[in-house]
Amino acid sequence: MKAFQQNLQKLEAADTQVLGVSMDSPFANKAFADQIGVTFPLLSDWGGDVTRKYGIYVDKYKAPRRVNFLIGKDGRILEEQVDREAINPTKIVDACERKKLSR
Amino acid sequence: MKLKSSLAILGVALLASALAPPPAEAQGKAQPEALQLKVGDPAPDFKLQYFDGSNLKDVSLSQYRGKSNVVVAFYIFAFTGG
Repeated sequence: MKAFQQNLQKLEAADTQVLGVSMDSPFANKAFADQIGVTFPLLSDWGGDVTRKYGIYVDKYKAPRRVNFLIGKDGRILEEQVDREAINPTKIVDACERKKLSR
Repeated sequence: MKLKSSLAILGVALLASALAPPPAEAQGKAQPEALQLKVGDPAPDFKLQYFDGSNLKDVSLSQYRGKSNVVVAFYIFAFTGG
């Protein structure tokens, strides 16, 4: 989440809203956001319904996989980053900036 | 003589197991399992909440439709790296 915070200005300038999602409670997520200095919403998928709907629930950990989805204004998925690759969001930031240029 | 030949068999068996490819599950770990949702698919809508310090706020994916792109970043647990 810190990596997205570091790129937040670039993403906002490219018309992109960032939303973090985990299965933690809203209050745990707020404390986490404050601790690491995240200013975008960290949403609580308490119970994991959305995590399952996106097909990324890991039964072994009772938690989501680490996955970033970039979703376009038309509601379709433009980019995906999975597991270790998802730690560095450069691919998504670059894709947003390319879209901005091509607009 | 007998000992020598059984040692030879053991040696061949050890060599064979060393040369055998690792089990499929060990190989599979290098390649992350593909997602069901692919690039180009419609992202499923959702409505979730976050706590802004005084209130619980609703956020849905569909509220951004036609207005902005959205990054939905799933992370494993709060208070862990990344």
